[in-house]
Amino acid sequence: MKTETPVIEIQNLVRRYGKHDAVNGLSLTVQPGKCYGFFGRNGAGKTTTIKCLLNLLRADFGSVRVFGFDPQRDEVAVKSRLAYVPDVVAFYPWMTVRDTLQYVASFRTNWNRDIENDLIKRFQLDQTKKTTSLSKGQRTQLALIGAICPEPELLVLDEPTSGLDPIVRREFIETVIGAYQSGDPGKRTVFVSTHLISEFEGLIDEFTIVEGGKNLLTMEADAARDRFKKIRARFSEIPKLDLSGALSVKQSGREVEILANGNSEELLAALKSHAPEELKIEALTLEEIFVASDVLKKVSL
Amino acid sequence: MQLHVDFKSGTPVYLQLVDQIRNAAASGGLRAGEPLPGIRPLAEELRVNRNTVAKAYAELESQGVIENIQGKGCFLKEVSSPLTKSARNDLLMQEIDRAIVAAHHLQISDADLLTLVKKRLEVFEKKNKAANE
Repeated sequence: MKTETPVIEIQNLVRRYGKHDAVNGLSLTVQPGKCYGFFGRNGAGKTTTIKCLLNLLRADFGSVRVFGFDPQRDEVAVKSRLAYVPDVVAFYPWMTVRDTLQYVASFRTNWNRDIENDLIKRFQLDQTKKTTSLSKGQRTQLALIGAICPEPELLVLDEPTSGLDPIVRREFIETVIGAYQSGDPGKRTVFVSTHLISEFEGLIDEFTIVEGGKNLLTMEADAARDRFKKIRARFSEIPKLDLSGALSVKQSGREVEILANGNSEELLAALKSHAPEELKIEALTLEEIFVASDVLKKVSL
Repeated sequence: MQLHVDFKSGTPVYLQLVDQIRNAAASGGLRAGEPLPGIRPLAEELRVNRNTVAKAYAELESQGVIENIQGKGCFLKEVSSPLTKSARNDLLMQEIDRAIVAAHHLQISDADLLTLVKKRLEVFEKKNKAANE
């Protein structure tokens, strides 16, 4: 198999604001056609990283490559092939929806009118409305139309659905899957930073959890759900258990709940040897893995 | 045929779809010649990556369960396995082994497992009858 140029390649990125390290040695690689999740708490360095991809900020150290190019040196080559939806969308207040789309389209060599019409209809946007009179949801929808119609090879989404109602959020994700992903699969890459992990779970192929400007965990989603498991056991009387291999152990009464880190078989065997009344195992969802970050920090991954 | 995805199962999402479609085919929920949902609408509905659904369909096609007719979509194939009986037995054996291992982990006795298998066979038989009527 030939190795394709990664769509995004970040190596040891460092970006400081004064003495504060917003990003401090982050590395990640996004392959073409993948949907990559970028998870982290507020202030973990997500937006700073994204701004470095878009040449809105410059790296202090390390390297950032998009389609193999340096976004700082080859800004046009990079930006003509990607689109970006930020969490807070700004438009010119004197423009209508129609004007805005025309204005955005004027910067693009490719603009898919069919997708534009479909999405305007789907979102029921009034094209004669001024952008100032749009709701937050409608503004995001307009930004999404502007991002998808050029059929970019990379779609960068920064907290795209925060603050939106559940129906708009749902439509947003369906649009990314339907309208965006329906093109050439090798040329449809998504990089999404979000807190609403459970909503994007089905889309995510691979993800990085960033913590304090560094990688905490980078994995494929399926592999992660296979590795991190929650096991619950109830005993008639709590035995003396050796669960030192568990990521965490919680005990309440006769029940224990443990987190397994790729060693669920061993832990299951250890629990079973004490004849539990009930024994349940389930995978952690990506959101649960993210929530377990504090536990993950303490072990070497 | 109703498909769903459970991220807590720990099974890769595309394999969940493969299993459910094979299941529907075995129980009459999907009959030979009937179309499968389109990749795009199904991906949108389940809110999973389009590639995941495409991967599931590719897997089903390579297993000979469905066929992809250019421009028309995917359809359930007639049940006619090109494999020899012993090859088919081997494949089934692996599945049975998996169930035996699962039964062991769930502390279900051999006798109970056999009873369950008989019960499930009856359920599938009933579903198939209902679907044919």
